[in-house]
Amino acid sequence: MHLKNPLTLQNKGYVFFDSETMKTFISFLMNQAELIAAHKKGESSYVFRAAENVDEVILDYPRTIQPLKKFFLPPRETLLNFNLEENDFDVPDMETKKRIFFGVHSYELQAIHILDYNFKRGNPESNYLKKREESLFIGISYTPDEYHFGKSVGLEIEKTEGMCLYIEPMEAGYYMFVVDDNGLKLLTEFSSETVALKTETIKPQPKEFQKKIKYHYNRLPQVFDKVYDSSVWKKVSEKCVGCGTCNLLCPTCYCFDVRDEIELDTINGKRERFWDGCMLNTFAEAAGGENFRDKLHNRTRHRLFRKFKYITEHSGELSCVGCGRCTSFCPANISIIDIINNLIEEVSLNS
Amino acid sequence: MSKPKVAFFDFTSCEGCQLNKLNFENDLLDMLKLVDIVEFREAMDDTADEYDIAFIEGSISSPTCVERIHDIRRRTKILVALGQCAVSGGINAMKNDQPSDWVREEVYGDDKYLFPSLPAMPVRAVVKVDYEVRGCPMSAPEYLHVLKSLVLGRKPEIFDHAVCVECKLKENECVLDKGMFCLGPVTRAGCDALCPSFGQYCTGCRGPVSNINKNGTIEMLKAHGFSVTEAMKRMKLFNTNDMEKSISWGNR
Ligand code: SF4
Ligand code: SF4
Ligand code: SF4
Ligand code: SF4
Repeated sequence: MHLKNPLTLQNKGYVFFDSETMKTFISFLMNQAELIAAHKKGESSYVFRAAENVDEVILDYPRTIQPLKKFFLPPRETLLNFNLEENDFDVPDMETKKRIFFGVHSYELQAIHILDYNFKRGNPESNYLKKREESLFIGISYTPDEYHFGKSVGLEIEKTEGMCLYIEPMEAGYYMFVVDDNGLKLLTEFSSETVALKTETIKPQPKEFQKKIKYHYNRLPQVFDKVYDSSVWKKVSEKCVGCGTCNLLCPTCYCFDVRDEIELDTINGKRERFWDGCMLNTFAEAAGGENFRDKLHNRTRHRLFRKFKYITEHSGELSCVGCGRCTSFCPANISIIDIINNLIEEVSLNS
Repeated sequence: MSKPKVAFFDFTSCEGCQLNKLNFENDLLDMLKLVDIVEFREAMDDTADEYDIAFIEGSISSPTCVERIHDIRRRTKILVALGQCAVSGGINAMKNDQPSDWVREEVYGDDKYLFPSLPAMPVRAVVKVDYEVRGCPMSAPEYLHVLKSLVLGRKPEIFDHAVCVECKLKENECVLDKGMFCLGPVTRAGCDALCPSFGQYCTGCRGPVSNINKNGTIEMLKAHGFSVTEAMKRMKLFNTNDMEKSISWGNR
């Protein structure tokens, strides 16, 4: 199988912003639409949320807790409100409003691209697709930490597909690369005159990934053809406690469960869906109580096969984007890179 | 539809769960519209002979408890264990891995043989329990869910996944990132990640998920700086019976 070739920086030119201009630009965007950006949460975490104050917007961050999917597939979402007395229900209104997602990393965009693929296939997921409308993405480069491994899954930091603008911070400010017409339009409206785009080649400081998968991403599907019965799965499951964090926070995981909850009047209620994950105990439990993946090693294997084989066979793309969330947030310190490298080692020993 | 007759009974416990129920100020009146409370020592003293739903708080820890719970089981259609003492033995079960004679001497001194005592057991070790509401004190959202479901004749849906799930749904900062330890990864959800939502670690008051990877949990706690003994102590605080399960406490 051939994996699709990821695009890299395909800019049409850029302008330069100093830090003050950047702030004015963010304020300008906040007037144009709802602006979603990374913000600090707690002592050392980051979350995406709507910006209220320019000074709180964070441009330099390793990764947020929840990925961008939370805006299109919310962690909890009311699907319908019902009334048992009148035997009736209504679907909550879903107005789409223009949203600009500001300062997002390339893996985040790729994850949205993968979710789009999955939610358009078969029965289109109307709630997701509706919320996805009218979204603009402004990307930014990032400095890989000990958990990022984008390059190993074919995702350069500068992959701009799906973005309208791409920001490359430099010492005295920011290069603002125009990626598509929407980006150009934003810049033009901002400066209220024709924007003179520079095209001289610039060479940003190259950024190295600290973590690497031993094989080129093109070879991973072949690896996964051979590792179903690997001993690695049981090894991992000795440490894994099955908390599901790696599923819930993965930007390409999209499973959910649905539950009806009635109010105390026992008349009105709502049907709610919430994120679920294949690492959880009851995920594969069927009516009658039979659980066809009751062992942790089966669940871990399933999780990775969903990232590197099952969906890839249809889409031609890996479903892991190298964001590192599953590893950095795992309470048992289980590293997806280590799992894959151990699988590769086993495959190369046995071939 | 006649309102179901509901009764509340307390066994060996601090009665905190019952008080917790009285704290539902806003919901209490609505609740009373749904059910007829026929026995509730904490709030009234009527008694009735038969119940549709009996809520049991506290663990079974004496021969008298055993007799009483049998009597209640005979008289009720549905029996719900309320709070961690009733569900797993809870804090009370901490005495179970100490010599019984020593424990009784500590508590009663010379009178130790005046009070027949048993290991602190979950209700399900003695009679059939239909549903369980976990937590110390019992988790309000789960209690309301069970009550409403039973009134409507539906089977309550009790989660069997980790507190981490609820924590992640709320996008809490993980307390592990603040250098704390946390039992959330192996503790049953249903409290809406109460403690981590207030920046505190989870002490496991709702008991472990079924299928817990006990060795993995010890490894995890070791990685967070605990010795094996300390790790076990942390895990056993509310859950001695689950962690030291050498006899059946009525689990499936
Ligand atoms: S986050 Fe870690 S411990 Fe939790 S289920 Fe995933 S691999 Fe297992
Ligand atoms: S599997 Fe892990 S690294 Fe890959 S996209 Fe999901 S959370 Fe990120
Ligand atoms: S704070 Fe505790 S419950 Fe919450 S995610 Fe972290 S480990 Fe899990
Ligand atoms: S977070 Fe843990 S200790 Fe706190 S209420 Fe929930 S289960 Fe109990």
